[in-house]
Amino acid sequence: MTIERSSLPRVLFSLVIIGLLVFLAAQFVRPAIGNPPATAELAAPPEVKRVLRNSCYNCHSNETQLAWFDQVAPAYWIAARDVKMARSHLNFSEIAKLPAAQQKGLLWEAVNQAQLGAMPLPSYLALHPHARLSDADLAVLKNYLNPPSPAPAPDDKAKTAADEQYNHWIQASGTKLEVQLSPNGIAYPQDWKNWKAISTTDRFDNHTMRIIFGNDVAVRAIAEHRINPWPDGTIFAKSAWQQQPDADGNTRAGAFLQVEFMIKDSAKYASTRGWGYARWRGMDLKPYGKDAGFTAECVGCHNPVRHNDYVYTFPLEGLQ
Amino acid sequence: MNAPWKKYLPAIACGLLVLAGCNERKPEAAATNHVAALTGQLPYNPLAWKPITTLTNRAAATTSTLYGNDAAVAYARSTAGAAYPAGSVLALVTWAERDDPHWFGAKIPGKPQTVEFVSIGAQPQYAVYRGSPLAQAASDQSGSRIDFILHLRAAVIP
Ligand code: HEC
Ligand code: HEC
Repeated sequence: MTIERSSLPRVLFSLVIIGLLVFLAAQFVRPAIGNPPATAELAAPPEVKRVLRNSCYNCHSNETQLAWFDQVAPAYWIAARDVKMARSHLNFSEIAKLPAAQQKGLLWEAVNQAQLGAMPLPSYLALHPHARLSDADLAVLKNYLNPPSPAPAPDDKAKTAADEQYNHWIQASGTKLEVQLSPNGIAYPQDWKNWKAISTTDRFDNHTMRIIFGNDVAVRAIAEHRINPWPDGTIFAKSAWQQQPDADGNTRAGAFLQVEFMIKDSAKYASTRGWGYARWRGMDLKPYGKDAGFTAECVGCHNPVRHNDYVYTFPLEGLQ
Repeated sequence: MNAPWKKYLPAIACGLLVLAGCNERKPEAAATNHVAALTGQLPYNPLAWKPITTLTNRAAATTSTLYGNDAAVAYARSTAGAAYPAGSVLALVTWAERDDPHWFGAKIPGKPQTVEFVSIGAQPQYAVYRGSPLAQAASDQSGSRIDFILHLRAAVIP
């Protein structure tokens, strides 16, 4: 189709008018953000709250304050969506309702999302540079979560429970458990205990210690330095035990808590970014998650390392 | 087309880049844990074996993993006690801990400190490797170390 030269300005003019009308009409489509009362605000020292208020509260609290340019659609729609999602993950105005351990877990995750540059959302920082966390801000949050503390004392009750668990297990050794499928259909990889240890972590945030196992495909990929992305067929198993301090200053692997897996298959698990996630808890290996949606939690927390194929671990070399 | 402001373009572009990119936090790139590699001449490579358990020491800021050859692992995971069958070899690898660059709240293996072997024959034999590269060293505590290592029980793996 060709447009006559003389009619071009007129066409352009009508396009501009139509655009303006659409823009004006868009302003009337306003999903409410709203600021419900802060019923259970985080209890933290003022300097901690100052940092969170400055960098996170606009999305993660019931005290959202939009800048004038955020009030204008379509920016407003993005803001409304972000705030809704952000509050559903973590809401500093309601966090105190949760059990203490869960609050702590969320705060550690928050600091890590910030340290890894995933939060505040980089798209938000471009227009709201005041929300950027400085190194000093980050240090305030870290000191709050991990103040210097004396070494934990031995816990006799925990030790007895761990001994009992060990005795049961060692007597029953070799009997295979019937393990149910994970809610997303993943079967329990029975063989993981025969894999190699690709790393260990001492998690002082939640008092656990972990061994990360890798199957043969993983071990070969490490040897050949093909770990970003990891090849299809890679499986990691991460097993967690309670930390059990003893009287001579060592902390040992106490009661078994859980084992969780990441299984690489870029086609089959495309909806969870190429990895199948599954977790089984306790000595009866109960599948974790109410339904297949539990994986959102895994993907969400592994997302800050997406440029490393969603993998946190720095694997040991020389496993072959 | 020779507008004078054009000469400021690179400066403006850099300024914008700095505004957007400065202070940007990024996770450390995917890599192997090179500093934790076991160097030197060891009689066996324990990392190629299976792990039996793991422990840490807060005062020494170390993390250790006990490995075993197949005979040792089969025994540790099926029998309570320290009577490993002949032919078993255990290796306790101890690293200095370092902060996990990816997770505030975690520590991971850093520089290797020692690799201790206990081989079961007629008598348990002890050998310790230290330094960088790891080299065999004398020890006047072999008796207590053998005892400690043989009594590290397996981590429960259902
Ligand atoms: C511009 C809005 C915005 C700001 C500001 C913001 N966040 Fe978020 N945050 C989000 C959104 C949106 C999500 C949900 C992401 C998703 O589900 O993909 C989220 C998710 C999270 C999560 C859960 C991660 C997950 O997916 O499980 C944590 C933790 C978090 N934010 C911490 C913080 C911290 C700490 C700050 C301040 C340093 C912060 N956020 C600032 C919008 C924001
Ligand atoms: C709160 C954040 C968080 C959540 C939620 C999370 N992970 Fe992880 N995951 C980590 C961290 C951190 C590591 C690194 C190892 C460590 O420190 O324990 C890790 C490591 C792993 C590994 C070893 C491979 C790797 O990436 O290093 C597996 C397997 C794994 N997670 C599975 C899961 C599964 C399955 C879920 C969901 C049921 C899940 N994770 C949810 C933080 C999380």
